[in-house]
Amino acid sequence: MEFIPIYLIFIPIISALIIYLVHDKRINYLVFFSQSLMTILAIVYFMYFDKLARPQLIKLGGWPRELGISLFIDRLSMAFIFLSIFIWWMVLIYEWHRSKEEFKFLFFLLFLEGVFIAFLQSNDIFNLYVLLEIITILSAILIIYKKDGYSVKSGLFYLLFNSVGVSFYLIGLILLYSLTGTLNMGVIADRIAAFENTELVRLAYVFIFSAVGVKSALFPVYTWLPRAHGAAPASISALLSGLLVKSGLYAFIRMNQMFNITILYDFFFILGFITGLSGVIFALSQKDIKQILAFHTISQIGIILMGLSAMEGELYIGGVLHIFNHAIFKALLFLGAGIIINRYGTRRITEIRGVFKESPVISIFMIVGILAITGAPMFNGFISKSIIKYGLKMELWKVILLQILNLGTATSFIKFSQMFFGTSHVNKIKEKGSTIVLGILAIACVVFGLFIVDILDLIVGIDISFVTIFSFKYLIEYLVTLGIGYIIYKVIIDKDYPVIQKLRHLNVSFQSTNAMLIGFICIMIIWIKLRSG
Amino acid sequence: MRIDILLSFIVVLIGIYGLCTSKNIIKSVISLNITDAAIVLLFLSIGSSEGGDPPILNGTISSIVDPIPQALMITAIVIGAAITAMALMLSIKLFHYYGSLNWKDIMEKEG
Repeated sequence: MEFIPIYLIFIPIISALIIYLVHDKRINYLVFFSQSLMTILAIVYFMYFDKLARPQLIKLGGWPRELGISLFIDRLSMAFIFLSIFIWWMVLIYEWHRSKEEFKFLFFLLFLEGVFIAFLQSNDIFNLYVLLEIITILSAILIIYKKDGYSVKSGLFYLLFNSVGVSFYLIGLILLYSLTGTLNMGVIADRIAAFENTELVRLAYVFIFSAVGVKSALFPVYTWLPRAHGAAPASISALLSGLLVKSGLYAFIRMNQMFNITILYDFFFILGFITGLSGVIFALSQKDIKQILAFHTISQIGIILMGLSAMEGELYIGGVLHIFNHAIFKALLFLGAGIIINRYGTRRITEIRGVFKESPVISIFMIVGILAITGAPMFNGFISKSIIKYGLKMELWKVILLQILNLGTATSFIKFSQMFFGTSHVNKIKEKGSTIVLGILAIACVVFGLFIVDILDLIVGIDISFVTIFSFKYLIEYLVTLGIGYIIYKVIIDKDYPVIQKLRHLNVSFQSTNAMLIGFICIMIIWIKLRSG
Repeated sequence: MRIDILLSFIVVLIGIYGLCTSKNIIKSVISLNITDAAIVLLFLSIGSSEGGDPPILNGTISSIVDPIPQALMITAIVIGAAITAMALMLSIKLFHYYGSLNWKDIMEKEG
């Protein structure tokens, strides 16, 4: 019973290997078997875990915790494991009719699932490094799966830049190891506390955070994200945007718990706002559906980071909850966009019209996704945003910053929703599995919006009953936001001024991205110097 | 500051300089390799000590070098090799598509 987390890591990896080696299209149905087995095991383990009511530490090989490799499972990693199994289910069902015979695709997809679950349980900073690199390599392979020029160059950019970022993680790791003499995160946390914040610990913190910033696409170093997420196949984009970007944010939470250095928290709030704002601005300038969605991943990460800029209280709960909600609605939007692109044969938003008349069911599901991302009352995005807002209650300017991001998101999705209007004629392609997936995700958006208080109370044991799920005040606020957004869209965005065109074609080269990473590190160091006086 | 640590730190900086300036994909890959190798050097030199014995148990244990950095760095080297192999494979593909290995040429071409 207590070793189920290890099975969760190895079931998908072993099934992936069997699929790759046997190389027979009947054996590909093994993916559903392994997924079902994992779902059952995860639920069984959660019940066991719930009874124990404390975080579990699994020592592999029975070595003491300072020396050996260990896995650490608490409620956060449990919740992330459920989320990843769910998203993988969705992606597999969506992709099934297209790639049920592509054993290589299924191999990489399932292997990635095992590695990601291992990442979520890892309690060892070196293992975290290795797993981050494996996640990078596997997602690069999935990004270039279409093998056309655009996806290959995006994949190469992604691979190289992420490994540059993770190299900095390695430097931070070296510093930490030479200071504390161990790699176990729990032990490091205990020993760091005795150090009284020496300069070197802070330097290690900065280096590790630069890598985390690259992985989670923070402000100056996100240029890989829109390329990679735009180039990948629709299902992989959903996986990348919904889940794999969160690997950086998960590492962010774990590292903050380990270091417990509060000096950069204000910086993270401002950085979150800048990340969100730049994501929104670039999203407004784009005309490619998948690019718009990819830039909105950046803007939502900004909101999440604003939430995670405190490691406790309502702000933190809102940030973590927004990770989950964003995974659900962004997967919904990307998968829906994949179907639409398939039908219309184009990705330009100006050429896609009349989606609602052609395929009303898919449109309704996508509208649910849009309502969720723009924060309409009764949908899941609204809940997490209002928890963050509740956490910011004391400071008006912070709430205003959050509202600006909301307004930008609303404007951008008004542009996005133009494709539902009008008329057009396209060949209908029957995609039953995909529609079912969209339906499940849309229902999840609504359920998480309406019953979130009970769900969180039941699963995580956190009381968030202070949130009002529905009130006319919020509805009017939302409608006003939409109205202002519509005006901005009509007056500024729709006119396509030269500035907007310039932003659309802005191309940041690989060298400047690396230079920006160095700049990012320098800014963090300067901030720490200034704050510590 | 010990000289070996200082030297490996300088090599890290050389690699980063290469990453920030090289216009060719192959050169970027090489710069990444230099950075990785220098980080490995840095860790090994931090882990070693003057006059320490290799960490092999042969009866007498006195002043052995810390074995963990070496074990870790083997893994890091393997990962670096995997990334290099994949990046070079992708650059061959890119050369077939675009006829160039210059970042600027490749990134600015549509499609």
